[in-house]
Amino acid sequence: MPKISIIVSSEKLDKLFPAVTLATTAAVMGWESEIFFTFWGLLALKKDYEAKDVSSDYKVYEDGLRRAVNSGAMPSWLEILEQGKKTGRLKVYACSTTMSFLGVKAEDLLEYVDEIVGAASFLGKAKDSDINLFIS
Amino acid sequence: MKVDIVVDARYKSCPGPLLALAEAVKKAGPGHIIMLLATDPSAPQDIREWASSVGHKVLNVEKVDETYQIYVEVLG
Repeated sequence: MPKISIIVSSEKLDKLFPAVTLATTAAVMGWESEIFFTFWGLLALKKDYEAKDVSSDYKVYEDGLRRAVNSGAMPSWLEILEQGKKTGRLKVYACSTTMSFLGVKAEDLLEYVDEIVGAASFLGKAKDSDINLFIS
Repeated sequence: MKVDIVVDARYKSCPGPLLALAEAVKKAGPGHIIMLLATDPSAPQDIREWASSVGHKVLNVEKVDETYQIYVEVLG
């Protein structure tokens, strides 16, 4: 089966949705799938973080996205991630360097995180990917 | 066509219909036929792609008004 690796460096909804949609869809299709959350993307993995904003350039569309989620037309980004995790084929990695400079501890992170890794470890895991995306 | 499970994913956008179908497949057995109802225009093609990847079979797709009825046979 193919493999996809995605790097996410933003905690905004307009970045999180495409990342988890592709990662979970891949996992549901039987692919190996992995997401590496780094820099501000790591904030989205904190237990106390509630993703509710879009990037500042796209504020005008924020209400539309919120309405789509609240109406049930779209699952929340975490619900999408959760369904991917249930397949057992979606791995979530948290960037160790980012955790260090943001002062985030392992116990602050959501249960969906499989491993805290550095750049070299993630590259080692991702090097045989068929598709690799950087979403920032 | 005998349908074993109906999954109503109308008015859900991508990836909602596929995720709803994938959940239903977990509860189905080999040979079961699932009818997925979806209004997302990308659903028929997405479901065909998923089925060919995981080894299930899209038997038929019908459109009634704005709703696609996508019949999927669960294999293996």
